[in-house]
Amino acid sequence: MPQPRQGERWKPPRGRHGLPREVVQQYQRERLLEATMRIVAEKGYGPTTVTDLTRGAGISRTTFYELFEDKEACFLAAYDDAVDKLVRRIVVAYETEERWPDRARAGLRELLAALAADPAQARLAFVDVAAAGPAAQRRYRAAVQRLTPLFDEGRDFAPGGRGLPANASRMAAGAVVGLIADELIADRADQLPSLLSDLLFATLVAYLGPDAAAREVGEESR
Amino acid sequence: MPPNTSQQEAKSDREQDDLGGLIHREHLPSGRADLAEPVIAHSQRERILNAMAATCASKGFGATTIADIVEAAGVSRATFYELFKDKEDCLQASMELSLADAMGRIVEVYSPDKPWATMVRDAARTFLELLASRPNFARMALIEAPAAGGRSLDMYASGKRVLQALLDRGRSDPLEEEAIPSSAGRGALAAAEQLIVGQILAGNTERLPELLPDIVYIVTIPYLGQDEALRQSREAEKLLQDEA
Repeated sequence: MPQPRQGERWKPPRGRHGLPREVVQQYQRERLLEATMRIVAEKGYGPTTVTDLTRGAGISRTTFYELFEDKEACFLAAYDDAVDKLVRRIVVAYETEERWPDRARAGLRELLAALAADPAQARLAFVDVAAAGPAAQRRYRAAVQRLTPLFDEGRDFAPGGRGLPANASRMAAGAVVGLIADELIADRADQLPSLLSDLLFATLVAYLGPDAAAREVGEESR
Repeated sequence: MPPNTSQQEAKSDREQDDLGGLIHREHLPSGRADLAEPVIAHSQRERILNAMAATCASKGFGATTIADIVEAAGVSRATFYELFKDKEDCLQASMELSLADAMGRIVEVYSPDKPWATMVRDAARTFLELLASRPNFARMALIEAPAAGGRSLDMYASGKRVLQALLDRGRSDPLEEEAIPSSAGRGALAAAEQLIVGQILAGNTERLPELLPDIVYIVTIPYLGQDEALRQSREAEKLLQDEA
């Protein structure tokens, strides 16, 4: 939650609305974050200017700089916000099931549905984010990292789970995001939902081996 | 900031080129006429490519300017433009060179007489050691080039396809393994990539060879099954320990 700056606290409520400043600023921030993801997805990170962002969000330059230091800080916040929402959706779907392979399938299905619904932002989140510089690249890795605990529940489910490499969850997550990125680069975002069985196999194989993974994937088609 | 930047800024482009010319004459034996032109060009090209990788590694490709590159390489702007069209062209050339080098080394360990798992392990090991020994190029080739899009991304993708073809030789009997999706090899490579790039971003490029056992596990498991993949992974671990 952004705090009002010192020296501005004593100003009377501005304009017609008379809303507390924090509420206004919070609302403006959300609009700005939403506009940032939309505009950067459209134009690319490099060519996007602060003016594009303020215009897209319908806020003033002054307000922009009250909220963020520069374009990069704004983009990173927008990215984190989008990742937060996506992770929450995935976790909710994941938790509707009991057995780990079913949980994984539900989570992956939700992820694919969310990405297919907004191909431009999906591409930004998975592919073009890398072009926004080293800080953004680390944010992307951190986002993938947030999903690894879900993958690692496979360790409790798998018969020999304890003896598996410590990096199994990272690798399974890497396979999933890598296969998704391949589709996005090839401009096949609309077909993402059909990737479900490949992603499920890529997730399960790291913990269960190919035969059990293929059996679980096959359950779906019955 | 290098000491002579403000001086350079005050001068015209033409004079900057002259200044750059001075710098590179310091690096090369004097009397250009003694050296065949291609030799000079070759070493300048190499210096520029090294400078490109170093600058990319420290500030990212997007933020890298031609001024950064020529300054780090100690060549003039004019020389840069004689050899490359723009910074994208320079990145592509650097990528081409790195890719050819990596593929050359991987093909060297490849032999049809070796068991498939041994070949995959040796190839992975060679690749990890190469990356560890050239951290700037590792970062450029695995992070900056794919991020730059265009032909650099295409080259990156073609490198992955070669590795994938190598992996897919592990499919023994197509009938027997029909339940395994055709994307299994691509997924395994992406898994290894995630691990490698994570290490590079964390600044641990020189420790990449330690990832060998995990990478052997993930790239062999779709083809060999879990028990054998674990055995191969333990063997790779032993190999590293024996060497230490």
